[in-house]
Amino acid sequence: MTCEHTKAQFTDWINKDPADPERIRIDRHLAECPDCQEEFTSSKQLWDMMGQVEVEVPTEKMRVNFNTMLGEYKETVRSRNKYSLDNFIDAIRQFVIPQWTVQLTFSLLLVGLGWIIGFRMNRSERAETAYTRQIDTLATQIQEMRQTMMLALIENPSATERLRAVSYTNDITDANDKVIDALFSTLDNDPNVNVRLVTLEAITQYAADPLVREKLVQSLAKQDSPMVQVELADVMVKLQEKRSIKTFRKILRQENLNELVKNKIEQTIKDLS
Amino acid sequence: MLRVKSGDLDKMGLLFERYHRTLFSFLYHMTGRADASEDLVQNVFYRMLKYRHTFTGEGEFRTWMYHLARNVLNDSIKQNKSRYHENVHELADKIGGGISADLEFEKKQDSDMLHKAMGILSDEHREILVLSRFQELKYDEIAGILNITEGAVKVRVHRALGELKKVFFTNANRKKAHDL
Repeated sequence: MTCEHTKAQFTDWINKDPADPERIRIDRHLAECPDCQEEFTSSKQLWDMMGQVEVEVPTEKMRVNFNTMLGEYKETVRSRNKYSLDNFIDAIRQFVIPQWTVQLTFSLLLVGLGWIIGFRMNRSERAETAYTRQIDTLATQIQEMRQTMMLALIENPSATERLRAVSYTNDITDANDKVIDALFSTLDNDPNVNVRLVTLEAITQYAADPLVREKLVQSLAKQDSPMVQVELADVMVKLQEKRSIKTFRKILRQENLNELVKNKIEQTIKDLS
Repeated sequence: MLRVKSGDLDKMGLLFERYHRTLFSFLYHMTGRADASEDLVQNVFYRMLKYRHTFTGEGEFRTWMYHLARNVLNDSIKQNKSRYHENVHELADKIGGGISADLEFEKKQDSDMLHKAMGILSDEHREILVLSRFQELKYDEIAGILNITEGAVKVRVHRALGELKKVFFTNANRKKAHDL
Protein backbone atom coordinates (compact mmCIF):
# COMPACT_ATOMS: atom_id res chain seq x y z
CA MET A 1 0.00 0.00 0.00
CA THR A 2 1.57 3.29 -1.04
CA CYS A 3 1.47 6.49 1.01
CA GLU A 4 -0.49 8.30 -1.69
CA HIS A 5 -3.13 5.59 -1.67
CA THR A 6 -3.30 5.47 2.11
CA LYS A 7 -3.75 9.19 2.49
CA ALA A 8 -6.74 9.08 0.19
CA GLN A 9 -8.33 6.45 2.45
CA PHE A 10 -8.66 8.74 5.47
CA THR A 11 -12.44 8.98 5.48
CA ASP A 12 -12.74 5.23 5.01
CA TRP A 13 -10.42 4.77 7.93
CA ILE A 14 -12.36 7.08 10.21
CA ASN A 15 -15.77 5.71 9.25
CA LYS A 16 -14.94 2.04 9.38
CA ASP A 17 -15.01 -0.33 12.30
CA PRO A 18 -11.53 -1.08 13.74
CA ALA A 19 -12.08 -4.75 12.96
CA ASP A 20 -12.76 -4.08 9.27
CA PRO A 21 -10.07 -5.71 7.09
CA GLU A 22 -9.65 -2.51 5.07
CA ARG A 23 -9.03 -0.52 8.23
CA ILE A 24 -6.63 -3.13 9.57
CA ARG A 25 -4.65 -2.84 6.35
CA ILE A 26 -4.47 0.94 6.72
CA ASP A 27 -3.54 0.66 10.41
CA ARG A 28 -0.71 -1.67 9.49
CA HIS A 29 0.67 0.87 7.05
CA LEU A 30 0.31 3.68 9.59
CA ALA A 31 2.32 1.75 12.15
CA GLU A 32 5.23 1.69 9.77
CA CYS A 33 4.98 5.13 8.21
CA PRO A 34 5.41 8.17 10.47
CA ASP A 35 4.64 10.49 7.58
CA CYS A 36 1.18 9.09 6.98
CA GLN A 37 0.67 8.83 10.72
CA GLU A 38 1.22 12.55 11.11
CA GLU A 39 -1.08 13.28 8.21
CA PHE A 40 -3.82 11.15 9.73
CA THR A 41 -3.41 12.68 13.18
CA SER A 42 -3.87 16.19 11.84
CA SER A 43 -6.77 15.13 9.66
CA LYS A 44 -8.42 13.44 12.61
CA GLN A 45 -7.90 16.51 14.78
CA LEU A 46 -9.65 18.63 12.21
CA TRP A 47 -12.36 16.04 11.63
CA ASP A 48 -13.14 15.87 15.36
CA MET A 49 -13.14 19.62 15.62
CA MET A 50 -15.65 19.79 12.82
CA GLY A 51 -17.83 17.41 14.79
CA GLN A 52 -17.84 19.80 17.72
CA VAL A 53 -18.87 22.87 15.80
CA GLU A 54 -22.08 24.13 17.30
CA VAL A 55 -24.94 24.98 15.05
CA GLU A 56 -27.16 27.78 16.14
CA VAL A 57 -30.70 26.72 16.79
CA PRO A 58 -33.31 28.17 14.45
CA THR A 59 -35.65 30.57 16.21
CA GLU A 60 -39.35 30.04 16.78
CA LYS A 61 -39.92 32.79 14.23
CA MET A 62 -39.03 30.32 11.51
CA ARG A 63 -41.93 28.02 12.39
CA VAL A 64 -44.34 30.95 12.59
CA ASN A 65 -43.18 32.20 9.20
CA PHE A 66 -43.53 28.74 7.72
CA ASN A 67 -47.07 28.34 8.98
CA THR A 68 -48.03 31.74 7.61
CA MET A 69 -46.51 30.87 4.26
CA LEU A 70 -48.30 27.50 4.13
CA GLY A 71 -51.60 29.14 5.05
CA GLU A 72 -51.24 31.76 2.34
CA TYR A 73 -50.24 29.17 -0.20
CA LYS A 74 -53.26 26.99 0.56
CA GLU A 75 -55.46 30.05 0.22
CA THR A 76 -54.10 30.89 -3.23
CA VAL A 77 -54.47 27.30 -4.39
CA ARG A 78 -58.09 27.30 -3.23
CA SER A 79 -58.96 30.58 -4.94
CA ARG A 80 -57.17 29.50 -8.10
CA ASN A 81 -59.32 26.37 -8.25
CA LYS A 82 -62.39 28.50 -7.86
CA TYR A 83 -61.24 30.72 -10.67
CA SER A 84 -60.45 27.89 -12.96
CA LEU A 85 -63.83 26.13 -12.68
CA ASP A 86 -66.85 28.25 -11.78
CA ASN A 87 -65.61 31.58 -13.00
CA PHE A 88 -64.43 30.13 -16.26
CA ILE A 89 -67.78 28.53 -16.97
CA ASP A 90 -69.57 31.76 -16.05
CA ALA A 91 -67.34 33.77 -18.32
CA ILE A 92 -68.03 31.44 -21.24
CA ARG A 93 -71.76 31.53 -20.60
CA GLN A 94 -71.83 35.29 -20.51
CA PHE A 95 -69.82 35.43 -23.65
CA VAL A 96 -71.82 32.90 -25.62
CA ILE A 97 -75.48 33.66 -25.03
CA PRO A 98 -75.94 37.35 -25.89
CA GLN A 99 -73.68 37.18 -28.85
CA TRP A 100 -75.39 34.53 -30.92
CA THR A 101 -75.88 36.96 -33.78
CA VAL A 102 -72.18 37.56 -34.07
CA GLN A 103 -71.65 33.84 -34.05
CA LEU A 104 -74.13 33.23 -36.82
CA THR A 105 -72.58 35.86 -39.07
CA PHE A 106 -69.19 34.43 -38.40
CA SER A 107 -70.17 30.87 -39.26
CA LEU A 108 -71.90 32.00 -42.46
CA LEU A 109 -68.73 33.82 -43.39
CA LEU A 110 -66.67 30.69 -42.75
CA VAL A 111 -68.95 28.54 -44.85
CA GLY A 112 -68.64 31.04 -47.70
CA LEU A 113 -64.91 31.13 -47.41
CA GLY A 114 -64.72 27.35 -47.37
CA TRP A 115 -66.81 27.16 -50.50
CA ILE A 116 -64.54 29.57 -52.37
CA ILE A 117 -61.36 27.80 -51.31
CA GLY A 118 -62.81 24.42 -52.19
CA PHE A 119 -63.78 25.67 -55.62
CA ARG A 120 -60.31 27.00 -56.31
CA MET A 121 -58.52 23.88 -55.04
CA ASN A 122 -60.63 21.60 -57.15
CA ARG A 123 -59.28 23.11 -60.30
CA SER A 124 -55.65 22.43 -59.52
CA GLU A 125 -56.34 19.06 -57.98
CA ARG A 126 -55.52 17.01 -61.04
CA ALA A 127 -52.00 18.38 -61.36
CA GLU A 128 -51.45 17.88 -57.67
CA THR A 129 -52.47 14.24 -57.54
CA ALA A 130 -49.65 13.36 -59.91
CA TYR A 131 -47.18 15.08 -57.59
CA THR A 132 -48.62 13.45 -54.52
CA ARG A 133 -48.37 10.08 -56.16
CA GLN A 134 -44.73 10.68 -56.97
CA ILE A 135 -43.98 11.82 -53.45
CA ASP A 136 -45.75 8.79 -52.06
CA THR A 137 -43.67 6.46 -54.18
CA LEU A 138 -40.51 8.21 -53.09
CA ALA A 139 -41.50 8.00 -49.45
CA THR A 140 -42.16 4.28 -49.73
CA GLN A 141 -38.82 3.80 -51.40
CA ILE A 142 -37.04 5.65 -48.63
CA GLN A 143 -38.84 3.57 -46.04
CA GLU A 144 -37.78 0.38 -47.81
CA MET A 145 -34.22 1.62 -48.01
CA ARG A 146 -34.19 2.38 -44.32
CA GLN A 147 -35.50 -1.08 -43.52
CA THR A 148 -32.79 -2.71 -45.64
CA MET A 149 -30.07 -0.57 -44.09
CA MET A 150 -31.36 -1.29 -40.65
CA LEU A 151 -31.33 -5.03 -41.29
CA ALA A 152 -27.80 -4.84 -42.68
CA LEU A 153 -26.40 -2.76 -39.83
CA ILE A 154 -27.99 -4.56 -36.93
CA GLU A 155 -25.62 -7.53 -37.29
CA ASN A 156 -22.59 -5.24 -37.18
CA PRO A 157 -19.97 -6.10 -34.53
CA SER A 158 -19.67 -2.45 -33.48
CA ALA A 159 -22.21 -1.38 -30.85
CA THR A 160 -22.38 2.16 -32.28
CA GLU A 161 -23.39 0.82 -35.68
CA ARG A 162 -26.03 -1.35 -34.07
CA LEU A 163 -27.34 1.67 -32.18
CA ARG A 164 -27.58 3.51 -35.47
CA ALA A 165 -29.45 0.60 -36.98
CA VAL A 166 -31.99 0.70 -34.20
CA SER A 167 -32.35 4.46 -34.56
CA TYR A 168 -33.35 4.02 -38.22
CA THR A 169 -36.57 2.44 -37.03
CA ASN A 170 -37.67 5.82 -35.65
CA ASP A 171 -38.45 6.80 -39.22
CA ILE A 172 -39.98 3.49 -40.23
CA THR A 173 -43.65 3.91 -39.54
CA ASP A 174 -44.77 0.61 -40.96
CA ALA A 175 -42.18 -1.97 -39.99
CA ASN A 176 -42.37 -5.38 -41.65
CA ASP A 177 -41.97 -8.69 -39.82
CA LYS A 178 -38.30 -8.92 -40.69
CA VAL A 179 -37.56 -5.62 -38.95
CA ILE A 180 -39.61 -6.59 -35.91
CA ASP A 181 -37.86 -9.97 -35.70
CA ALA A 182 -34.46 -8.31 -35.98
CA LEU A 183 -35.36 -5.88 -33.20
CA PHE A 184 -36.48 -8.65 -30.89
CA SER A 185 -33.44 -10.72 -31.59
CA THR A 186 -31.33 -7.71 -30.65
CA LEU A 187 -33.39 -7.10 -27.53
CA ASP A 188 -32.95 -10.68 -26.39
CA ASN A 189 -29.39 -11.35 -27.42
CA ASP A 190 -27.35 -8.20 -27.84
CA PRO A 191 -24.33 -8.18 -25.52
CA ASN A 192 -24.52 -4.41 -25.01
CA VAL A 193 -27.05 -3.13 -22.46
CA ASN A 194 -27.35 0.29 -24.09
CA VAL A 195 -28.23 -1.24 -27.43
CA ARG A 196 -30.85 -3.39 -25.72
CA LEU A 197 -32.36 -0.36 -23.96
CA VAL A 198 -32.58 1.66 -27.16
CA THR A 199 -34.06 -1.34 -28.93
CA LEU A 200 -36.72 -1.68 -26.28
CA GLU A 201 -37.61 1.95 -26.78
CA ALA A 202 -37.81 1.43 -30.52
CA ILE A 203 -40.03 -1.62 -30.13
CA THR A 204 -42.53 0.21 -27.94
CA GLN A 205 -43.51 2.40 -30.87
CA TYR A 206 -44.95 -0.71 -32.53
CA ALA A 207 -46.72 -1.86 -29.36
CA ALA A 208 -50.14 -1.35 -30.91
CA ASP A 209 -49.56 -4.67 -32.67
CA PRO A 210 -50.77 -7.52 -30.40
CA LEU A 211 -48.01 -9.80 -31.69
CA VAL A 212 -45.37 -7.29 -30.63
CA ARG A 213 -46.89 -7.11 -27.19
CA GLU A 214 -46.88 -10.85 -26.82
CA LYS A 215 -43.24 -11.00 -27.83
CA LEU A 216 -42.39 -8.29 -25.32
CA VAL A 217 -43.88 -10.40 -22.54
CA GLN A 218 -41.86 -13.38 -23.72
CA SER A 219 -38.72 -11.31 -23.80
CA LEU A 220 -39.18 -10.42 -20.17
CA ALA A 221 -38.07 -13.87 -19.06
CA LYS A 222 -34.93 -13.69 -21.16
CA GLN A 223 -33.49 -10.49 -19.70
CA ASP A 224 -30.76 -10.60 -17.12
CA SER A 225 -29.69 -6.95 -16.96
CA PRO A 226 -31.42 -5.07 -14.11
CA MET A 227 -31.68 -1.92 -16.22
CA VAL A 228 -33.50 -3.64 -19.03
CA GLN A 229 -35.74 -5.46 -16.54
CA VAL A 230 -36.73 -2.19 -14.87
CA GLU A 231 -37.33 -0.51 -18.22
CA LEU A 232 -39.45 -3.45 -19.39
CA ALA A 233 -41.46 -3.26 -16.20
CA ASP A 234 -42.19 0.38 -16.98
CA VAL A 235 -43.28 -0.50 -20.49
CA MET A 236 -45.59 -3.22 -19.18
CA VAL A 237 -47.28 -0.75 -16.86
CA LYS A 238 -47.62 1.74 -19.69
CA LEU A 239 -49.19 -0.88 -21.92
CA GLN A 240 -51.23 -2.29 -19.02
CA GLU A 241 -50.11 -5.73 -20.16
CA LYS A 242 -51.61 -8.03 -17.54
CA ARG A 243 -50.19 -11.17 -19.12
CA SER A 244 -46.77 -10.12 -17.87
CA ILE A 245 -47.73 -10.61 -14.21
CA LYS A 246 -47.09 -14.34 -14.38
CA THR A 247 -43.62 -13.84 -15.79
CA PHE A 248 -42.86 -11.16 -13.24
CA ARG A 249 -43.85 -13.54 -10.43
CA LYS A 250 -41.46 -16.10 -11.90
CA ILE A 251 -38.65 -13.55 -11.96
CA LEU A 252 -39.35 -12.64 -8.35
CA ARG A 253 -38.66 -16.21 -7.35
CA GLN A 254 -35.15 -16.05 -8.79
CA GLU A 255 -32.35 -16.13 -6.28
CA ASN A 256 -29.88 -13.24 -5.95
CA LEU A 257 -32.26 -10.89 -7.72
CA ASN A 258 -31.16 -7.26 -7.58
CA GLU A 259 -32.93 -5.53 -4.66
CA LEU A 260 -33.96 -2.54 -6.77
CA VAL A 261 -35.39 -4.73 -9.50
CA LYS A 262 -37.26 -6.72 -6.90
CA ASN A 263 -38.93 -3.61 -5.50
CA LYS A 264 -39.68 -2.34 -8.98
CA ILE A 265 -41.30 -5.62 -10.03
CA GLU A 266 -43.36 -5.82 -6.86
CA GLN A 267 -44.58 -2.31 -7.54
CA THR A 268 -45.31 -3.21 -11.18
CA ILE A 269 -47.37 -6.25 -10.20
CA LYS A 270 -49.32 -4.04 -7.82
CA ASP A 271 -49.90 -1.47 -10.58
CA LEU A 272 -51.04 -4.10 -13.06
CA SER A 273 -53.37 -6.10 -10.84
CA MET B 1 -44.24 14.13 0.11
CA LEU B 2 -46.33 12.08 -2.30
CA ARG B 3 -49.37 12.97 -0.18
CA VAL B 4 -48.49 16.65 -0.48
CA LYS B 5 -48.12 16.21 -4.21
CA SER B 6 -51.58 14.73 -4.52
CA GLY B 7 -53.04 17.81 -2.84
CA ASP B 8 -52.85 17.14 0.89
CA LEU B 9 -50.96 20.35 1.65
CA ASP B 10 -51.36 19.95 5.43
CA LYS B 11 -48.82 17.13 5.33
CA MET B 12 -46.26 19.80 4.53
CA GLY B 13 -46.27 20.75 8.22
CA LEU B 14 -45.08 17.25 9.03
CA LEU B 15 -42.23 17.56 6.58
CA PHE B 16 -41.30 20.88 8.12
CA GLU B 17 -41.11 19.36 11.58
CA ARG B 18 -39.02 16.50 10.33
CA TYR B 19 -36.54 18.34 8.14
CA HIS B 20 -36.27 22.00 9.06
CA ARG B 21 -33.34 21.44 11.42
CA THR B 22 -31.43 19.40 8.87
CA LEU B 23 -31.98 22.03 6.23
CA PHE B 24 -31.12 24.84 8.58
CA SER B 25 -27.88 23.17 9.59
CA PHE B 26 -26.92 22.59 5.94
CA LEU B 27 -27.60 26.19 4.97
CA TYR B 28 -26.02 27.52 8.13
CA HIS B 29 -22.79 25.71 7.40
CA MET B 30 -22.87 26.84 3.81
CA THR B 31 -23.54 30.52 4.49
CA GLY B 32 -22.16 30.89 8.00
CA ARG B 33 -25.14 33.00 9.02
CA ALA B 34 -28.16 32.02 11.02
CA ASP B 35 -30.60 34.77 10.05
CA ALA B 36 -29.96 34.34 6.33
CA SER B 37 -30.31 30.57 6.70
CA GLU B 38 -33.74 30.90 8.27
CA ASP B 39 -34.92 32.82 5.23
CA LEU B 40 -33.36 30.27 2.92
CA VAL B 41 -35.06 27.38 4.74
CA GLN B 42 -38.36 29.17 4.26
CA ASN B 43 -37.53 29.51 0.57
CA VAL B 44 -36.78 25.80 0.23
CA PHE B 45 -40.13 24.86 1.74
CA TYR B 46 -41.88 27.32 -0.52
CA ARG B 47 -40.27 25.69 -3.55
CA MET B 48 -41.27 22.25 -2.28
CA LEU B 49 -44.86 23.44 -2.48
CA LYS B 50 -44.49 25.21 -5.76
CA TYR B 51 -42.59 22.43 -7.50
CA ARG B 52 -44.27 19.51 -5.75
CA HIS B 53 -45.22 18.02 -9.13
CA THR B 54 -41.51 17.49 -9.90
CA PHE B 55 -41.15 15.00 -7.05
CA THR B 56 -41.58 11.63 -8.71
CA GLY B 57 -41.24 9.44 -5.65
CA GLU B 58 -38.63 7.35 -7.39
CA GLY B 59 -35.62 8.75 -5.56
CA GLU B 60 -35.28 9.57 -1.89
CA PHE B 61 -37.18 12.60 -0.66
CA ARG B 62 -34.02 13.79 1.06
CA THR B 63 -32.10 13.85 -2.21
CA TRP B 64 -34.81 15.93 -3.84
CA MET B 65 -34.83 18.26 -0.85
CA TYR B 66 -31.10 18.83 -1.12
CA HIS B 67 -31.48 19.52 -4.83
CA LEU B 68 -33.95 22.29 -4.03
CA ALA B 69 -31.82 23.61 -1.19
CA ARG B 70 -28.78 23.84 -3.44
CA ASN B 71 -30.76 25.75 -6.05
CA VAL B 72 -32.08 28.18 -3.46
CA LEU B 73 -28.57 28.66 -2.16
CA ASN B 74 -27.11 29.24 -5.61
CA ASP B 75 -29.77 31.80 -6.41
CA SER B 76 -29.12 33.67 -3.18
CA ILE B 77 -25.37 33.65 -3.76
CA LYS B 78 -25.94 35.12 -7.20
CA GLN B 79 -28.10 37.87 -5.73
CA ASN B 80 -25.95 38.51 -2.70
CA LYS B 81 -22.28 38.29 -3.53
CA SER B 82 -20.96 38.97 -0.03
CA ARG B 83 -19.67 36.18 2.18
CA TYR B 84 -20.90 36.37 5.70
CA HIS B 85 -18.65 35.56 8.57
CA GLU B 86 -18.82 37.07 12.01
CA ASN B 87 -15.61 38.74 12.99
CA VAL B 88 -13.84 38.21 16.26
CA HIS B 89 -14.83 41.56 17.76
CA GLU B 90 -18.50 40.92 17.30
CA LEU B 91 -18.00 37.57 18.97
CA ALA B 92 -16.27 39.12 21.96
CA ASP B 93 -19.17 41.51 22.36
CA LYS B 94 -21.58 38.64 22.33
CA ILE B 95 -19.81 36.55 24.96
CA GLY B 96 -19.25 39.33 27.49
CA GLY B 97 -16.37 39.64 30.01
CA GLY B 98 -14.88 37.61 32.88
CA ILE B 99 -12.32 34.80 33.22
CA SER B 100 -14.72 32.03 32.36
CA ALA B 101 -15.54 33.99 29.26
CA ASP B 102 -11.91 33.76 28.20
CA LEU B 103 -12.06 29.99 28.07
CA GLU B 104 -15.34 30.12 26.27
CA PHE B 105 -13.79 32.65 23.95
CA GLU B 106 -10.85 30.36 23.14
CA LYS B 107 -13.14 27.50 22.30
CA LYS B 108 -15.47 29.68 20.34
CA GLN B 109 -12.53 31.15 18.52
CA ASP B 110 -11.25 27.74 17.44
CA SER B 111 -14.67 26.91 16.16
CA ASP B 112 -14.91 30.33 14.58
CA MET B 113 -11.56 29.85 12.89
CA LEU B 114 -12.75 26.56 11.48
CA HIS B 115 -15.82 28.36 10.27
CA LYS B 116 -13.66 31.00 8.65
CA ALA B 117 -11.48 28.39 7.05
CA MET B 118 -14.59 26.73 5.67
CA GLY B 119 -15.62 30.10 4.30
CA ILE B 120 -12.36 30.39 2.40
CA LEU B 121 -12.78 27.03 0.67
CA SER B 122 -14.27 26.89 -2.78
CA ASP B 123 -18.05 26.34 -2.82
CA GLU B 124 -17.56 22.87 -4.18
CA HIS B 125 -15.18 21.83 -1.41
CA ARG B 126 -17.16 23.47 1.35
CA GLU B 127 -20.30 21.74 0.14
CA ILE B 128 -18.78 18.27 0.08
CA LEU B 129 -17.46 18.67 3.64
CA VAL B 130 -20.77 19.99 4.89
CA LEU B 131 -22.66 17.11 3.34
CA SER B 132 -20.28 14.40 4.47
CA ARG B 133 -19.23 15.69 7.89
CA PHE B 134 -21.91 18.02 9.20
CA GLN B 135 -24.93 16.44 7.57
CA GLU B 136 -23.39 13.00 7.98
CA LEU B 137 -24.74 11.72 4.70
CA LYS B 138 -23.47 8.50 3.16
CA TYR B 139 -21.37 8.70 0.02
CA ASP B 140 -24.00 7.11 -2.18
CA GLU B 141 -26.54 9.67 -1.04
CA ILE B 142 -24.14 12.56 -1.69
CA ALA B 143 -23.45 11.09 -5.12
CA GLY B 144 -27.18 11.25 -5.84
CA ILE B 145 -27.45 14.85 -4.67
CA LEU B 146 -24.47 16.08 -6.67
CA ASN B 147 -25.08 13.86 -9.68
CA ILE B 148 -21.59 12.40 -9.57
CA THR B 149 -20.25 8.94 -8.86
CA GLU B 150 -19.42 7.62 -5.41
CA GLY B 151 -15.78 7.44 -6.40
CA ALA B 152 -15.81 11.11 -7.34
CA VAL B 153 -17.38 11.98 -3.98
CA LYS B 154 -14.56 10.19 -2.18
CA VAL B 155 -11.91 11.99 -4.19
CA ARG B 156 -13.59 15.34 -3.61
CA VAL B 157 -13.84 14.81 0.15
CA HIS B 158 -10.17 13.94 0.24
CA ARG B 159 -9.18 17.04 -1.71
CA ALA B 160 -11.47 19.33 0.29
CA LEU B 161 -10.12 18.02 3.57
CA GLY B 162 -6.58 18.59 2.32
CA GLU B 163 -7.42 22.16 1.37
CA LEU B 164 -9.19 22.84 4.65
CA LYS B 165 -6.18 21.51 6.54
CA LYS B 166 -3.89 23.81 4.64
CA VAL B 167 -6.07 26.85 5.30
CA PHE B 168 -6.87 26.02 8.90
CA PHE B 169 -3.42 25.11 10.13
CA THR B 170 -1.79 28.08 8.41
CA ASN B 171 -4.34 30.34 10.08
CA ALA B 172 -3.90 28.64 13.44
CA ASN B 173 -0.11 29.02 13.27
CA ARG B 174 -0.43 32.64 12.36
CA LYS B 175 -2.72 33.17 15.31
CA LYS B 176 -0.30 31.46 17.67
CA ALA B 177 2.57 33.57 16.39
CA HIS B 178 0.43 36.62 16.94
CA ASP B 179 -0.38 35.57 20.52
CA LEU B 180 3.30 35.15 21.35
